[in-house]
Amino acid sequence: MSFSRRNFIRASAGAASAGLVLESTLSKPLLAAEAAHRDCPVQPEPIPHTIATPFGTTIHFFFPGPVEGVDPVTGHDPSVITNFRGVIGEVEMAFTGTGTDLNTGQSAPYGFDADVRFMRGHFVAADGQTHRGAFAFI
Amino acid sequence: MLWATSIPEGGARADLEAGTAELHLRNICSVLDTFTVPNSLDPTRPLGNPVSAAIDSLDIEWSGVTRRVLSFSDPTNQFAGDFVETSASIRLAVRTLASTGHGFRFVSSATTAVNFAQIGRERNGVFF
Repeated sequence: MSFSRRNFIRASAGAASAGLVLESTLSKPLLAAEAAHRDCPVQPEPIPHTIATPFGTTIHFFFPGPVEGVDPVTGHDPSVITNFRGVIGEVEMAFTGTGTDLNTGQSAPYGFDADVRFMRGHFVAADGQTHRGAFAFI
Repeated sequence: MLWATSIPEGGARADLEAGTAELHLRNICSVLDTFTVPNSLDPTRPLGNPVSAAIDSLDIEWSGVTRRVLSFSDPTNQFAGDFVETSASIRLAVRTLASTGHGFRFVSSATTAVNFAQIGRERNGVFF
């Protein structure tokens, strides 16, 4: 089994441009569900750039690529947080390995694409103050 | 899954001059496992809500410079910095808790392929 977030979003966005409405009311979290996992006292703000999904949501990031940009949604700023000054690392990969169903104990080859990044440094958080910290994007 | 979280500062480091960086994470809980890409993008889907998962270990090492882009500036997207494209190696062990009824564990192999890797020192937004 293998899937690609990039291919799915791109294919869907292409279909969506033919008719779906892509306006989003979700401007701050990278995703709506992420809000349930915010347990830190200060949070960074996402970069302004968004990619629309066919579900009426938006994602605040660029697909991985050279900073000069391959197209309007690929490359450019590798950070997913704004008002940031520090170091970053990103890697886009096609994982291969072994998946195990913990309920049945069955194992099989498994693969998926992933985009993992880190940002470490200073950032102006939602509280307007400058903080120091590190974040991972998966 | 599209997810961002605070991590210990000591878990990530980068040395632009050497062209190396490391990310080491252990026991990162409260991971959103929504099983499919559509689920992770559509909060109205039945599995659009978070399911408990955990990253047992994630180790990424960047090295082997393939290209340097120094003193880059992008006024349109309001970011600037020095960037170094590299190779990378990754080891990952992640699981969805069995208590969710969707228990699953993945352990990566050495054949994982890197499509793009980059490290950098940048500033954006108000620091641009």
